[in-house]
Amino acid sequence: MAQPVIMKSNKYGIILILDPEIPFQELLGHITDKFLESDKFFKNAHMALSFEGRTLSAEEEYQILDTISQKTSIHVICVIDSDKEREQYTKQRVEQQLEEDSGNTGRFYKGTLRSGQVLSCETSIIIIGDVNPGAKIISGGNIVILGALKGTACAGADGSENCFVVALNMNPVQIKIGSIIGRSEDKGLLASIREHKRTTPEPQVARIADGHILIEPITKNTFNNI
Amino acid sequence: MSEVIVITSGKGGVGKTTTTANVGTGLAQLNKKVVLIDTDIGLRNLDVVMGLENRIVYNLVDVVEGSCRIKQALIKDKKYPNLSLLPSAQTRDKSSVTPEQMKKLTDELREEFDYILLDCPAGIEQGFQNAIAGADRSIVVTTPEVSAIRDADRIIGLLESNEIRQTQLIVNRLRMDMVKRGDMMTVEDVCEILAVNLIGVVPDDEQIVISTNQGEPLVGSDALAGKAFANICKRIIGEDVPFLDLQKKASVFERLAGLFK
Repeated sequence: MAQPVIMKSNKYGIILILDPEIPFQELLGHITDKFLESDKFFKNAHMALSFEGRTLSAEEEYQILDTISQKTSIHVICVIDSDKEREQYTKQRVEQQLEEDSGNTGRFYKGTLRSGQVLSCETSIIIIGDVNPGAKIISGGNIVILGALKGTACAGADGSENCFVVALNMNPVQIKIGSIIGRSEDKGLLASIREHKRTTPEPQVARIADGHILIEPITKNTFNNI
Repeated sequence: MSEVIVITSGKGGVGKTTTTANVGTGLAQLNKKVVLIDTDIGLRNLDVVMGLENRIVYNLVDVVEGSCRIKQALIKDKKYPNLSLLPSAQTRDKSSVTPEQMKKLTDELREEFDYILLDCPAGIEQGFQNAIAGADRSIVVTTPEVSAIRDADRIIGLLESNEIRQTQLIVNRLRMDMVKRGDMMTVEDVCEILAVNLIGVVPDDEQIVISTNQGEPLVGSDALAGKAFANICKRIIGEDVPFLDLQKKASVFERLAGLFK
């Protein structure tokens, strides 16, 4: 064999084709080199690993995985044999992990959203700035506004009703969570500014309670059941 | 280095044209070479406010279409030879000019003038796009009313997305008596909503109506609005001028005293 270790990849992970002849310690060295070369490319990737070309003992497999996790930033989720059933299982695991990842990630937006501007994204979003009246944020997940919400916010745009909207200064025209819409009181903008000036703004959270949008101050327990 | 400044508001009737006339005249009083361009094609009125209507021969559309040279269309002010006006066309519409043509025009004018002020039409359509095409910075005029502020917010968003970096705010027609009674938004309220730098506050002043009707900009006069515009001009050229105390009702005596300060 020309190369003692060949690295191949498919959508779900990496296949290592190993030389059956050379001593294990030497092979381990080659594997380490291979992964170090491609570490930048695979940075923090979640993947499945499978071995071909050589039968490894449990101890040897363990040593290889140990080396990879110590020397690189790759997360090996599992090791697969080449048989079909287990491959199917691996696919499921990896896809599940990817889905969980996307559920936990969000986007950042820095700047004030002004009248007529619409910001829409599939994940949760954190706005660093104000959302002015006439502006609108639409998010498939949660919305966190590190500033004032004075416009319209739609959380859980895909219909999910356990999403929330947080703002440091909560004075929205309208909030929609899932399919439930809540709107501001019927008073003029001037009156609303006056009222907000009288009270010092505190961070508040809007969520669904009993089929209505409920806005309340954030406490220690707010996020326990979300 | 010359600067192209667009004066805009979104909403109509908040005082863009009056502001353009007064700021332009004020900058000319500070010995700057200034040209005012009325970009409101079809609704020409900056020339009326400047009292120069009777001198119009060629207009903006003639210039961009090449029917005349820029020099031929520029009208010199009655009082200040370093102030010129490029009037709008009354019989055409906004589609007679493209943003590219406006940019070319303002770039040519940069060679001769220190400040090129563009009086923008109301709205966000082609007239607005034309007016902002060549601008380096913008002055947004608003009154302390919810409708004007909402439109100003929209305009500021559009200016940002058109990469006009520096936007400053004039709060026009403020009535201190109403603010004191709590019936009008304060300047702080307006600034908090719009979150842009304030460059001036102009009080509601009947002298403005009188001066507009006479075709003589008020800037530089003793009237409070005239002083406010003069201060705005100084801030435009980079001077640090404190804001007028509008709380104080200036009596005749105080105005006289102010003259000798």
